[in-house]
Amino acid sequence: MTVHDVKHAASDSARLEAVGGRLSRVDGPAKITGAARYAVEQQLEGLAHAVLVDSTIAAGKVVSIETQAAKAARGVIAVLTPDTIMKLSVASDWFGNPLAPQRTFCPLARDVTYCGQHIAVVIAETFEQAVSAAALVMADYDQAPALVELGDGTAGEIISIEGMTKEWGNAQAALAEAPVHLSAVYNTQRSAHAAIEPHGLIARWEGDRLTIWEPSQWLDGMARTYAEWFGIPFENVRLVSPYIGGGFGSKALALAHSAVAAAAAKMLGRPVKLMLTRSQNFTSYGGRATTRQTIDLGADKAGRIQSIIHRGVSEVSLEGMWVEAVGSITSIMYDTPNFSSRQDVVRLNTVLPNPKRAPGENPSAFGIECAIDELAHELGLDPLEIRLINYAEQDPHAKKAWSTRQLREAFAVGAEAFGWAKRSPAPRSMRAGHQLIGWGVAAGAYPVQRAHGEAVVKIMFDGSVEVESSSIDMGQGTYTILAQTAAETLGVPVSQVSVKLGDSHFARAGVTGGSRLAGIMTGAVHKAASQALDELIGLALSDPRLPFHGLQANTLAVKDGRIGSPRGDGPELSIAELMAAVGRDRIEAKGDTLPAGTTAEERYKNYTTIAMSIPHTEGDYSRHSWCAHFVEVKVDEDFGTVRVSRVVSALDSGRLYNPKLAESQWKGGIIMGIGEALLEEGIVDRRHGRIVNSNFADYMLPTNADIPDIQTISVGIPDPHSSALGGKGVGELGIVGVAPAIANAVFHATGKRVRDLPITLEKLRDGAEARERGCE
Amino acid sequence: MTSHIQTIIDPPEDGHFRNGVATDGLIPSPTTLSLNLAINGRDHALDVEPRVTLLDALRERLHLTGTKKGCDQGQCGACTVHVDGERVLACLTLAAQVEGRSITTIEGLADEDGTLNAVQAAFLEQDAFQCGYCTPGQIMSAVACIREGHAGSDEEIREYMAGNLCRCGAYPNIVAAVRQAAQELRS
Repeated sequence: MTVHDVKHAASDSARLEAVGGRLSRVDGPAKITGAARYAVEQQLEGLAHAVLVDSTIAAGKVVSIETQAAKAARGVIAVLTPDTIMKLSVASDWFGNPLAPQRTFCPLARDVTYCGQHIAVVIAETFEQAVSAAALVMADYDQAPALVELGDGTAGEIISIEGMTKEWGNAQAALAEAPVHLSAVYNTQRSAHAAIEPHGLIARWEGDRLTIWEPSQWLDGMARTYAEWFGIPFENVRLVSPYIGGGFGSKALALAHSAVAAAAAKMLGRPVKLMLTRSQNFTSYGGRATTRQTIDLGADKAGRIQSIIHRGVSEVSLEGMWVEAVGSITSIMYDTPNFSSRQDVVRLNTVLPNPKRAPGENPSAFGIECAIDELAHELGLDPLEIRLINYAEQDPHAKKAWSTRQLREAFAVGAEAFGWAKRSPAPRSMRAGHQLIGWGVAAGAYPVQRAHGEAVVKIMFDGSVEVESSSIDMGQGTYTILAQTAAETLGVPVSQVSVKLGDSHFARAGVTGGSRLAGIMTGAVHKAASQALDELIGLALSDPRLPFHGLQANTLAVKDGRIGSPRGDGPELSIAELMAAVGRDRIEAKGDTLPAGTTAEERYKNYTTIAMSIPHTEGDYSRHSWCAHFVEVKVDEDFGTVRVSRVVSALDSGRLYNPKLAESQWKGGIIMGIGEALLEEGIVDRRHGRIVNSNFADYMLPTNADIPDIQTISVGIPDPHSSALGGKGVGELGIVGVAPAIANAVFHATGKRVRDLPITLEKLRDGAEARERGCE
Repeated sequence: MTSHIQTIIDPPEDGHFRNGVATDGLIPSPTTLSLNLAINGRDHALDVEPRVTLLDALRERLHLTGTKKGCDQGQCGACTVHVDGERVLACLTLAAQVEGRSITTIEGLADEDGTLNAVQAAFLEQDAFQCGYCTPGQIMSAVACIREGHAGSDEEIREYMAGNLCRCGAYPNIVAAVRQAAQELRS
């Protein structure tokens, strides 16, 4: 349970607290004082510590595991291997589809399909004892050949993802006829989520009831997985995750190491804590998959696109499926009469890749937003102008109106703030001493993902308000915006509202991903709070002992925690006085956004799978967030080092529930985009399939010294088709388009087009392009 | 990555312990040390193995979980604490190294009455964090950065705060918070 009390000056009050106000984080005081207790920081009696042993080969069989030395080490309680750990049932996938129910799931691998796969676990009295004993476990393997890199995407088992094919018109014929052609290959690298809080968990069994303390973006979905693994009722699993130290898509699923810890706890009859090391955070779950995409553009001489042919491929593991859909926004950025996009995946000896911030949309934007820039250069057009020439007035694929699309406004406002009009068009024409200066622009989009949510709102006897939901706050500001929503709906100050999140025994919630949570949960809280308010006012009107008795319902309102006439005349009572007068200790309302008549089974499915997500093109509209990034880079002429020196981004996320927090998320996305454009790359050792830079010294995350001032400007308007209160997605959007804006700026600075991320200095050497792997 | 965070390499002055081996009668057993650590103005007695880091002593033994473990290898800065007023990475410091030193963690930064340190208040006001996991380390680093005289310009703040990684990308807001706190502390 987590309670946040907010105290701020009276002068802050109403304007800041309303939905749309710039209220500081209500969970902020706990986070800046060290009081915020994250999931794995629970202190439990009798806690044992587990450390994993991982495969050092990428493919083959574990022949034997020597555990004697480890078992004899001081403090060791058990060493578990594929032979000795308990077998679990196979859990269904995130759509709820059962996977091989006849088989069992062994959380430690005997058959190795990637380097870093967990093959044993050591459990000891202390963390230090477990670490040192784990180093004594020796494995013998029967090694098999492995394919560990995507290369140009043509080797290995290739699977066509037919469901992602998008085609209209006759793309091949139109391309052949178009007077202007462009063909290019764009590559994006494997990149890591690299949340600063490592993955890990504490598992405790009490009979057949399991409590898991684990950072989670999806309590109900992960609770379902644990329940299915161990064959216990869903209600018997309690997942607790009051704060999450960064997720970015990586913390939505229960993973093999989660199963190991829960199984060990059950076998030993003791609570077990298991934290992945930093290095294991690079190998125990996948980051963004490597992608390759080819774009063929045909245009007329005025720059109007006639045809786009897009072919994409991404890497995936030998088992499981994740598609990094590089065609996801290729089809909606520009108006084109002819279009074709297809996607393949290639199976490799790697851990299953995962969704990472704007999965699909981010590499998709790198392709189309570089290609349009190349076309502009080819035709001598300004990169902004060509985007306006090809502006899509409706969704070219779905053939539906945009719900809202403030992209034209984003281009105009961003260009004005950036000073785009002063750009000298020719590459290498702007410099400051030995620094070549480049200005680039790119756009981005992210679909509005929707589902349903529920929330409980309680008005307590003392006038305080409690909001409960099993949704989570990993830094997006859920605690804060739900407090604002409840306070505004009920007419009470935020200081009277406590928001409790991160416990699967609270009102249910679906996955926090795809920028859907804020729109869903503000809607659910608004509904629950409205019901609670109706009941409160009903009590006030119906009790003959109260001065409001006999008034009409619409003659009463609550403001600043006091109930009375909205005009301010007549009698007035505080909520606490009213509750005392009618003898109630609480009013409790559960609100959900599900359609009437939804069955219990459908509810369970809605919260524990993603099968009931609502398509963004449902009904009459196509719904997306939009953005335009304007970037200045400085490239050292001698060394080819690229520094981002200025960013101005104009973004359309619809109505912002709290602009202060939304701007922070946008900036965070932009910074992650700078990392993927210039710094980050998971490098695979081709001999062993190991990630050679699986640490924060060698895997280059952006540091404070890499990041300039970033200006974000909201150009959104409320979008009634996207959410109850008019917001669209925020968190995923900011990263989309950053890498192409930087690549376009680097081209403007240097005259060199790098189509292979990250853009590192060796790729900017003379003649370097031809030598880059996978590039034409 | 540039790191401006020190690790302690000099042994304790009384020298009763070297490389995990007891060298005099003060140690009850060769594998357990009885330490007395002065943390946030209070003495804490604990028996630990010599190999226990300050970070694990704080988090696992003393239940002071405000200091965070991000990488456990001195690369992220989330475990930054102050030892005798200087910033130190608790994951690269053995608990035994800091006996007799004055240790300050995030839990000890605000006044006894709860009044926030100027840096803490500025972090809240400037929204200099999202998930909050790197935040204690950022704040401890920022307090020392200002004290070191390395907060004179935004450029200098970026450089001297570069040893603390933030994956949520709060860097511009962190710079604003450090700038604000530095100005308040100067005036």
